[in-house]
Amino acid sequence: GNSRGAAKASSDLVAYKSINDLPPSRDMIIQVDQKNEAILLPIYGTMVPFHVATVKTVSSQQDTNRNCYIRIIFNVPGTPFTPVDANAVKNQSSIHLKEVSFRSKDPRHISEVVQLIKTLRRNVMARESERAERAT
Amino acid sequence: MTDGHLFNNISLGGRGGTNPGQLKVQSGGILWKKQGGGKAVEVDKDDIVGLTWMKVPRTNQLGVRIKDGLYYKFTGFRDQDVSSLNTYFQNSCGLSPEEKQLSISGKNWGEVDLNGNMLSFLVGSKQAFEISLADVSQTQLQGKNDVMLEFHVDDTTGANEKDSLMEISFHIPNSNTQFVGDENRP
Repeated sequence: GNSRGAAKASSDLVAYKSINDLPPSRDMIIQVDQKNEAILLPIYGTMVPFHVATVKTVSSQQDTNRNCYIRIIFNVPGTPFTPVDANAVKNQSSIHLKEVSFRSKDPRHISEVVQLIKTLRRNVMARESERAERAT
Repeated sequence: MTDGHLFNNISLGGRGGTNPGQLKVQSGGILWKKQGGGKAVEVDKDDIVGLTWMKVPRTNQLGVRIKDGLYYKFTGFRDQDVSSLNTYFQNSCGLSPEEKQLSISGKNWGEVDLNGNMLSFLVGSKQAFEISLADVSQTQLQGKNDVMLEFHVDDTTGANEKDSLMEISFHIPNSNTQFVGDENRP
């Protein structure tokens, strides 16, 4: 991990501190912001950020009409998931966004997004569990 | 009464994506026209029940809620447009827009707020996103705790968009007290 990542405690999962830190969105398409460890989803005309640590799985699928689908499943309480999220216990009674699914006309963009999210998530999780281990 | 303000490069946002166009705010209300013709949105000032401003990256978004529950979102206003429009709305419609903040923390837990046709997902007191229930074709209860919303396949609002929202689901824990009994289906 770099110094920036190390400064961020796993207990405060914060993608952005200021609205101006969000990357500019030229198109309303799913984006992955590696620097801030966030994914940005176009929901009703707004790019909505989610920290990659909230993501449980991501997958894509293609139908016969050359439409491509991407499904992102988020961590929710009550399912066995990575214990690195210190917030999990505190927020158990909150309503959680569990899943989103998008249709896309660009299969290359979707497979790129899936790869980027998977890699970013793996790196963040590895860093967090390493830190948790060191702390014990 | 002044004859209004004209803004170029204002996009109308919907489930499927956004469309660029031109927005005119005049004494009678709000008129938005899609670039290159086609779709237009006309809102009579007497039908407006609420206005909101939200700062989004590099620009501002105006939310217009109308009587029948519909909610339009126009994006592309500069900071100086916000203050001039506030004065204009105040003087011509007697409405003062409410300010909302976009959730940027990246969390996926919060609260669901239902207002008219709109379902808002709030993280802290900030808004993560809003969806229009008018676009929902089907809701499904999955298991005991999950509510799935499926959207109409609509190619008109986002014909030139690459990624459009199809499904969204929420997990409502047993310990959540916001929706109980029959009301647990937003």
